[in-house]
Amino acid sequence: MSIILAALDTSTAARPVMETALRIGQLTGADVQAVHVRVGPRESVDAPEALAALSEVPFKVLEGPVEPALLAAAGAPDVIAVVIGARGTPDGGHPVGHTARHILENTEKPVVVVPPEAVSPRLIQRLLVPLEGTEVSSRTVLERLFPLLVADVELVVIHVFTDTTLPAMLDHPGRDLEILGKEFLTRHFPHSSDIEFRTGSVATRVSEVSHEHDTDLIVLSWSQNPEPERARVIREVLGGSALPVLLLPDSPDSVDDPVKSFSRPEEDLTGMTDGLTR
Amino acid sequence: MALHETFEAIMFDWDGTAVPDRQADASGVRRRIEALSAAGVHVIIVTGTHVGNIDAQLQARPQGRGRLYVCCNRGSEVFAVTDNGPKLVLQHTASPEEDRALDRAAERTVERLRTRGVEANVVSERINRRKIDLIPVPAWADPKKADIALLAAAVTARLASAGIANLAEVVALAADVSRGAGLADPRITSDVKHIEIGLTDKSDSAHWAADWLSRQGIAGGLVLIGGDEFGSIGGVAGSDSLMMVDAFTRAVVVSVGVEPGGSPHRVVRLGNGPKRFIELLDQQLSRRAALRVPNIDLDPAWVIPLPTTRAKERVAEALGALGNGFVGTRGSREEDGRDTGPLFLVNGAYTQDGQLLPGPNWTGLERPGVDRRHTERRLLDLRGGTLVRFGNEGLGERSIRFVSVSSPHALALRAEAPEAHLQPGEPLRPPRDATDFVSEEHGTMFGARTGRAGAEITVAARDRVVTTAGRRVVERLAAWVVAPTGKNRLDDAYDRLAQVEATGFDTLLADHRAAWARRWEDAEVVIEGDPGAELAARFAVFHLLNAAADIGESAVGARGLTGNAYKGHVFWDADVFVLPALAAIRPAAARAMLEYRIRRLPAARAAADAQGLRGARFPWESAGDGRDVTPSSVRGQHNDFIPIATGPHEEHIVADVAWAAAHFAAWTGDTGFLAGAGRELLIDTARYWASRIRTDADGHGHLYGVMGPDEYHEVVDDNAYTNVMARWNLRRGAEFLFRSGDRGTAATWRALADGLVDGWSPQRGLYEQFAGYFELEPLLMSRVAPPPVAADILLGAERVAGSQLIKQADVLMLHHLVPEEVVDGSLESCLAFYGPRTAHGSSLSPAIHASLLARAGEPERALEMFHLAVRLDLDDLTGTTAEGVHLATMGGAWQALAFGFLGVRAEGGMLAVNPYLPDAWCALGLTFRFAGQPIGIRAEHERVTITCQTPLLVRVADRPPASCVPGGTTFPLNAFPTQRSQR
Repeated sequence: MSIILAALDTSTAARPVMETALRIGQLTGADVQAVHVRVGPRESVDAPEALAALSEVPFKVLEGPVEPALLAAAGAPDVIAVVIGARGTPDGGHPVGHTARHILENTEKPVVVVPPEAVSPRLIQRLLVPLEGTEVSSRTVLERLFPLLVADVELVVIHVFTDTTLPAMLDHPGRDLEILGKEFLTRHFPHSSDIEFRTGSVATRVSEVSHEHDTDLIVLSWSQNPEPERARVIREVLGGSALPVLLLPDSPDSVDDPVKSFSRPEEDLTGMTDGLTR
Repeated sequence: MALHETFEAIMFDWDGTAVPDRQADASGVRRRIEALSAAGVHVIIVTGTHVGNIDAQLQARPQGRGRLYVCCNRGSEVFAVTDNGPKLVLQHTASPEEDRALDRAAERTVERLRTRGVEANVVSERINRRKIDLIPVPAWADPKKADIALLAAAVTARLASAGIANLAEVVALAADVSRGAGLADPRITSDVKHIEIGLTDKSDSAHWAADWLSRQGIAGGLVLIGGDEFGSIGGVAGSDSLMMVDAFTRAVVVSVGVEPGGSPHRVVRLGNGPKRFIELLDQQLSRRAALRVPNIDLDPAWVIPLPTTRAKERVAEALGALGNGFVGTRGSREEDGRDTGPLFLVNGAYTQDGQLLPGPNWTGLERPGVDRRHTERRLLDLRGGTLVRFGNEGLGERSIRFVSVSSPHALALRAEAPEAHLQPGEPLRPPRDATDFVSEEHGTMFGARTGRAGAEITVAARDRVVTTAGRRVVERLAAWVVAPTGKNRLDDAYDRLAQVEATGFDTLLADHRAAWARRWEDAEVVIEGDPGAELAARFAVFHLLNAAADIGESAVGARGLTGNAYKGHVFWDADVFVLPALAAIRPAAARAMLEYRIRRLPAARAAADAQGLRGARFPWESAGDGRDVTPSSVRGQHNDFIPIATGPHEEHIVADVAWAAAHFAAWTGDTGFLAGAGRELLIDTARYWASRIRTDADGHGHLYGVMGPDEYHEVVDDNAYTNVMARWNLRRGAEFLFRSGDRGTAATWRALADGLVDGWSPQRGLYEQFAGYFELEPLLMSRVAPPPVAADILLGAERVAGSQLIKQADVLMLHHLVPEEVVDGSLESCLAFYGPRTAHGSSLSPAIHASLLARAGEPERALEMFHLAVRLDLDDLTGTTAEGVHLATMGGAWQALAFGFLGVRAEGGMLAVNPYLPDAWCALGLTFRFAGQPIGIRAEHERVTITCQTPLLVRVADRPPASCVPGGTTFPLNAFPTQRSQR
């Protein structure tokens, strides 16, 4: 049996978490299990319990502290993914709250982070897959996304050119991007026959394409290392997304390919501007 | 171990190595040498004795492809031995003065030794040398080679009794005496019993052998050197060590001698004398019989290691593509697995909708159980034109393939691996997404074709599989035909294959290597001080040479035959970037490229007519029939269709074609070309411009609605490049008309040319790229991003179009192509203005800037651009190399070397040379053909040496013309290059 673990708190953000968990359950063919971590003996669990009951989902109360309890629950062998709220309130100060961040950084399971303002998702039919163009990140998506899915979905694959991946030369942009796209997909995502290229801030472009294509879920791989560039991109996407974001941790044994996909010559590109956003 | 390789040539010492002594039975050696010859292996015997001694003992009469040479008399003679016996091919003849000096040297040496108390005799006076016996006593009258240690001890003792430390002291004495006797470069050798004073030694034999072998395409690592005296004896280097000349640095050297004093570290000491040497010969014969995969010379200056990561799989295929101008095969792995894109293309074979037709793939093999990633090396051998693959070392997997240059219809592949890991599978396989692939079996041959009548590629192939002791070899020979004539359209291919098979793999490979050696003679690049750039430049030349056939017509697409980007369409890349390089390094191929344009004049005339214009309007993109095949739009990122403006507006192609024709004629001296077939290229293109120009009320001519090379600004008026090239075209056309008597039209065209605006602004000292350009946002790349960068992707096409940022050299192309048409001194001002505005977002840009910066006296900045250009595909800077290498960049890189750094220009029949080298380069050397003869230029910072075959008029560093004499003339250069002219 496979389980999607829905981590419900007592805030209003629990509702979109519950609803997203149900959709993820449909997507993956897994059962949904709702949990709440009680941090004090007098804390009421009525709200999350009622929410679970309303959704006809089994509910379990875990004893705190929150992060270790959730991590332990997520570590159960039959849990294939965790759904958790990004933060308690839409206007929270951080894109990802402390609890979500802790889970993200410490579980090897895929985690769906649900923003509090997320509108109730329909059936999840269209996934937005932004690829950064490294072998590790692409392999993670390939190896960890597809085994999860039982339902047919449409994939919208994008790559956002940043200061390090912008092509040095395009003899004819339209035609060369076609070649580049074909090559990119062959290298990184042979499951798709189409890719869109954008330039600028990754988070902005992801949000833009997500809106244009009316996607239901954003899928990202991530290194679980909170410091480097990829974590910044994750933070920004999470901060700017009104959609749930499925984060797939890189396989622990992944070693990045020494050759970057479309790297430019070794130059300092600091200060390169994002023209499309100006 | 390197010894367990297949060698293409074996060079060895005779006495002590091949035979125990001069009286020994040499019939075993003879049988093996004749067998090696039959197998195609060249044998070179290097000996101190004369040919009669060797021939009498050996009696070999080889009849095979492998040649037998006897380099005898210590480097003074070379004999070729055939079934008619030895025949002298080279002899170093001493002058009477040299002979007298040799006599004096020998006599004085003996005298000096006697003075010291050593009795010695001059015992023979052979050609170019004198031999002195240091131990003329009966006990050592005829010492055996095996007794060399004892002999050395006896000679040392004899010398010691006279107070002479060792043999080396005698050699030094003889050398000193010889110089005093008038020998400038005495060669003193010793076999311990004797010392010899000569004009030559075994190193001369080795140099001759290296030179001869290199002309066969055989270099160091393919040569086995055998001897028995490499180590020093008595302080004197062993005589066989003289065979280890620089050209054989990578040769495998073995000693079967006793080597009492040890041997140099490079020498593999086998010992056991001639018996062991015979075993080595047998080993080579066994390898040949078992069809073992040949080796290549692993010369880092000539070998490109292909990327091995999965991500760069298709990049490697493009980089490792092989071709002969007629056909090209990508460097795909044989197993045709996931992520690969094997492709076989034929020059000029386009489908009716104007894309290169992929032919049947002939390189596929089944490789079960092969884990290729990170365990193999794939190497492109530029010198020999082969692609080799060294698989898992433990399993001994290997393959080699080539597209024959000497037999253009022949394709060859050989692979070996443990039996379980290699199956031939289908020899001919359909190209990806093929819908018109047909195959059949024809006895033991296989045939396949793609396409339909009119555009069809047929290939026939047959495998030969040999499995010995668990090791399998698959040899595949294939032949292609593109214009079948038989009733069964595969019959022609079967006939071709039969011819190819009659030649055989080994002979095909040998002929192919020799043909590549001849190709390189006219296309050499040497960059001393920058080995990376040298290798990358050779890589560029390699692909240029593969791009164009040298007979008939040749359609050179933007990516040649290395991939299917742009569907193989022919752009101005061919005329302006590739052709000038080929006009110099392979003129016949450049001529074939022009023939492609000449045969499409009717289509170009029809295109002009359709526009209501006259003359010939060549299309921006051209394929089989010469119609414009530029797509009208491309799907954009938002699933919208973006119109492509190049087809209707990038009209400068018309003048580019004419320029290519004129350049070819000027460079090659083929004036008949412009008087004949090429004439209409110049006239009809000029006629087009004459009808295209609009004259305003002030009498000024304009070209409205055009696009220049800078495609960031799509449709503009009076693009300086287009206008000036049109002006040049009109003036050249007018010259021809004037000479042919049509003086009226000539005058009209001249007037039109003179009235055409060119954007020159005397106030600014600049050409304005197009009307209104100076009014655009004065954005500089320094405010955007370090070039090269696709600025239109970074900033958006609209923003870039509204700015002064440009994609590539536009105005500056004029300074590159037609410097006589631009204002003197404007190169520097235009570089200073347009350089900072150039994104180099086109692959065509860096090489041209490299050339111009060098001309402007800025070789260091030029070098940065040059590195960018030659690394463009090797580093996949565009992300599109997977679909073919950028031939125009490669042609531009060669032009940067020749026209930029060497400052070479054709001035009538005279060659102007004005080198500007960056500090890091010690020397730059090129070979090419100019005005019908082979030329070599080697420039250093303070001198330039020009070699030619017949007297050549040259202008060096803008000095008055001087004569360059055959053999080479060196001219001093001003040590301060900025003081030299910058044109």
